[in-house]
Amino acid sequence: MATLQQREMRAGYLFILPAYIIYLAFLLLPMLAALGLSFAQMDRISWDIEWVGFENFEWILSDPRFWKTFRNTFYFISMAVIGNVGLGLLIALALDRAIPAPILYLLRLAYFLPVLVSLAFVSFIWKFLYSTDLGVINYFLRQVGLSNVPWLTSSSMAMFSVVIMDVWKNMGFFIIIFLAALQGVPRRLMEAASIDGAKGWTVLRRIKIPYIAPVILFCITYATIGGLQVFDSIKILTDGGPGDATRSVVMYMVSEAFNVGDLGTGAASAMILFLTIGIVVAVQFGLVRLLSFKGRQ
Amino acid sequence: MKPAVLPENASFSHRLQSAMRVIHWRNWVVVALLVLGAIIMVLPFLWTFSTSLRPISEAYRLPPSFLPDQLDFNSYAELRDGPIPFLGMYWNSFLVATVVTVSVIITSAMAAFAFSRLRFAGSNILFGSMLAGLMVPPALVLIPLFFGLASIGAIDTLWALILPALANPLAVLMMKQFMQSQPREYEESAFVDGASYWTIFWRISLPQMGPPIAALSIIVFTTSWNNFLLPLVFIRSFDAMTLPVGILSLFGSYGPEKLSVILAAVTLSIMPLLVVFLIAQRFIVESIASTGIKK
Repeated sequence: MATLQQREMRAGYLFILPAYIIYLAFLLLPMLAALGLSFAQMDRISWDIEWVGFENFEWILSDPRFWKTFRNTFYFISMAVIGNVGLGLLIALALDRAIPAPILYLLRLAYFLPVLVSLAFVSFIWKFLYSTDLGVINYFLRQVGLSNVPWLTSSSMAMFSVVIMDVWKNMGFFIIIFLAALQGVPRRLMEAASIDGAKGWTVLRRIKIPYIAPVILFCITYATIGGLQVFDSIKILTDGGPGDATRSVVMYMVSEAFNVGDLGTGAASAMILFLTIGIVVAVQFGLVRLLSFKGRQ
Repeated sequence: MKPAVLPENASFSHRLQSAMRVIHWRNWVVVALLVLGAIIMVLPFLWTFSTSLRPISEAYRLPPSFLPDQLDFNSYAELRDGPIPFLGMYWNSFLVATVVTVSVIITSAMAAFAFSRLRFAGSNILFGSMLAGLMVPPALVLIPLFFGLASIGAIDTLWALILPALANPLAVLMMKQFMQSQPREYEESAFVDGASYWTIFWRISLPQMGPPIAALSIIVFTTSWNNFLLPLVFIRSFDAMTLPVGILSLFGSYGPEKLSVILAAVTLSIMPLLVVFLIAQRFIVESIASTGIKK
């Protein structure tokens, strides 16, 4: 007869067993395999593995196409973060006031609607909206006397168009987060400020923004991590084109591994992506500590 | 000024009118801008729906419509009868999402029960190692997964979409947080009465967590329904294809000429999400606001 303690321990292991086995098999081991593969060359047919050290990384880092996709991705991130976090904060601040409940409900609904729907599905919609001659957006531009914009077919415009759709799609998520954070700002702080005669702008700059600064930082990090993995929207809207103007790092990885068939290079580019995400997270942790240190002074 | 107290059965427009009176005029400028923005947010969906109801030959006719100006269901009939088995893909998406959701909820609830209620050696290390999985982008494990799934013959079957989606450390984390906020008294008294751990979990812990399980189910289901990268790489044949990639191949075979057919497919694909969302808006928004996590 096992003691109570032993029974509890055995039950503990049995209860985590299913989730943990699945986690090991489909996440942790594949991750380690990806790490291993990035230092190897693997034959697609025979699955023979040959260790090559840092050769894959050297190859990638000297491939101008990789740098092009890396630059594209960061170009996308910089604009998408400004759009999503900036506009999201602006709209959250606008929503954070006395608005009749039914209107607030409908507004929240409208802004949040695209968040739930897959990027893949909305990308098809926008592909048609963006169409140069027959698209809806250009139709309205012509109505007000402007000329057609080559949204997806000009290499200087295409990434910007991807960003517009991305902001439309994801902004609602950040609005919800900011709205929740703004509602957490203590009332007494705001009341005290208004008694002291502070106007709306001062309250915003001196109380609201500093109070939700950690949340803003979190959102920037979150949007950056998401942006580093941008794939679905670009795949459907432009398929990386025109030329390589919108090709992202994940698209480079997928095409190296599954079209070119160079698995080692694919895995190595995935590792570089993973490292970049690690750096972004580390920087955020550092900034949060800095902020909370300043806050205590 | 105080808002007037309204009877419980006041109509929507009554409530609206009484609410409007208490608003400062300056706020109306902001509200007007917000409403304008909200309309722009919704227009692409309205256009999609309206255009899917136009005859196939008139889909591109300008001006575009945002409210259905015609009721022509030929595009939908084309989806049913056309060469691409759209209904089969719909079923695949539904099947995969359902299996994934049920399995993830049960396994993550079990793990959360162990992590939040039972004491066993190494539980912190095991939990920490699962949290590490949150950092792993799906793209990173794509290549090893492909070969792992190929070695068990799962590529180009629904299993290739189900199995990787079962690993969901986020669900374990959220479940654990939900469970820790629940009172333990019932569980403890059941334990004193000699109930087994499984009975306590199945009969007491799980039923307590109705709302969070509903919210998490919706998140897991939509994540699976919306998945694009995995099926794009793992699935080749129509038999095992799910909706996002299915529409891509629909697009490939019909081309942009049959715009309304593609938009009918998109309308049908986003319909379940919108319905679920309208029903459960409160759950979803609150669970996102409280955890700050979406998938």
